[in-house]
Amino acid sequence: MKKTPERIESLAAEYVLGSLRGQARVRFERWMMESARVRQEVWFWEEKLGQLSSEVPPVTPPRSAWKSIERRLWPQTARVKARSGIGLRWIWPGWSLTATAAAVVLAVLLVQQPTPTPQLSGAIVQADISDPLWLVSESGQNNLLKLRSVAASAADAGKDYELWIVPEDGQPLSLGVIPAGGVHQVTLTDEARTALSQSRTLAISLEPLGGSPTGAPTGPILHVTKLYEL
Amino acid sequence: MNPGQTDQEDLMRLLFSVAHQDRKAFARLYEAIASRMFGLCMKLAGQRELAEEALQEAFIQIWHHAGEYHEGRGTPMGWMMTIARYRTLDLIRSRKVRQTAGDDHLEHVEDQRAGPLDDSLRNAGSAQLTGCLEELTDVQRDSILLSYYRGFTHEELAQALSSPIGTVKSWIRRGLLALKRCLEQ
Repeated sequence: MKKTPERIESLAAEYVLGSLRGQARVRFERWMMESARVRQEVWFWEEKLGQLSSEVPPVTPPRSAWKSIERRLWPQTARVKARSGIGLRWIWPGWSLTATAAAVVLAVLLVQQPTPTPQLSGAIVQADISDPLWLVSESGQNNLLKLRSVAASAADAGKDYELWIVPEDGQPLSLGVIPAGGVHQVTLTDEARTALSQSRTLAISLEPLGGSPTGAPTGPILHVTKLYEL
Repeated sequence: MNPGQTDQEDLMRLLFSVAHQDRKAFARLYEAIASRMFGLCMKLAGQRELAEEALQEAFIQIWHHAGEYHEGRGTPMGWMMTIARYRTLDLIRSRKVRQTAGDDHLEHVEDQRAGPLDDSLRNAGSAQLTGCLEELTDVQRDSILLSYYRGFTHEELAQALSSPIGTVKSWIRRGLLALKRCLEQ
């Protein structure tokens, strides 16, 4: 395969993103060895996409991680240190201070955010349509669930779409009728939030105008979707 | 939360010392960035054990290759985070960890699908990259962010978004090209 500028551009981006896999990835790594131009394109993307990583919340790694790194890099020294019981001292004072500080910060965060619930999101799509019908996302505050209409079309005349939480056990919980267009927000009750965080499953049924008269789905279930945590 | 210029200069000094085999500097470097790096590994891997392994491998690689860092690779922090990201993706691939593991009980549902991306990261992504992500269509942006933050393969994206692999590939390819055009302006 020739290294055309277009190919380099496209493959470098996918290499950094990680979506270039298998043999294609290996082949591209060879290109990187061969060509400064290819490497520069890769660095461009590493720098640009790398900005996204600054948005991920930090997580304190277990203390065993550092110990393992030391053991893997310097197995001899680690053994001697373990026997003599000294030598790690130069790092532990600093480390334990950091750990204490981290614990305090964590405690403060926990107080400030009594419910650090994972956020759910997902999409409701139809097999033969390339765009999702609705995108679903959960707002961290106020138990809000947001549906953004992308390609949903209006329900048949005299019908409405109704949104349901499908719990792990028991009957679906209605979240009410949803419009086909625009952005629609539903406030979840605590019960609904709990059910959704356990099953992470939503469904949409076709109901008479105004929604199901019985409190359970009466029409066909049009879509079932599983939300993911991010 | 981008580390400021001073932080980057501190990291640069530490990295320089590490390149000269300074173990104390290496320990300080670990203290300075391990939690941010572990956060990224956790987000990608979705499980602690693999994330911890990736963190270890990233630091081992940094120890051996610190001297290869130069400005062309972006900021010191960005360079090290990139190493961590590649190590995590490598481990996910080699162990064939599926992002959708645990969803087996849904197999009877024919039209399950999802696009796992919450507003906080979607908005965060917009704040970065000088607003260029907003130039993309929703599906292009979500596909790219899911690949970046969750390490989804084309197959996993296709499954998650219930769309053909060819469609997903084209969302990503076109999205990345549009992103580059915008970033180059």
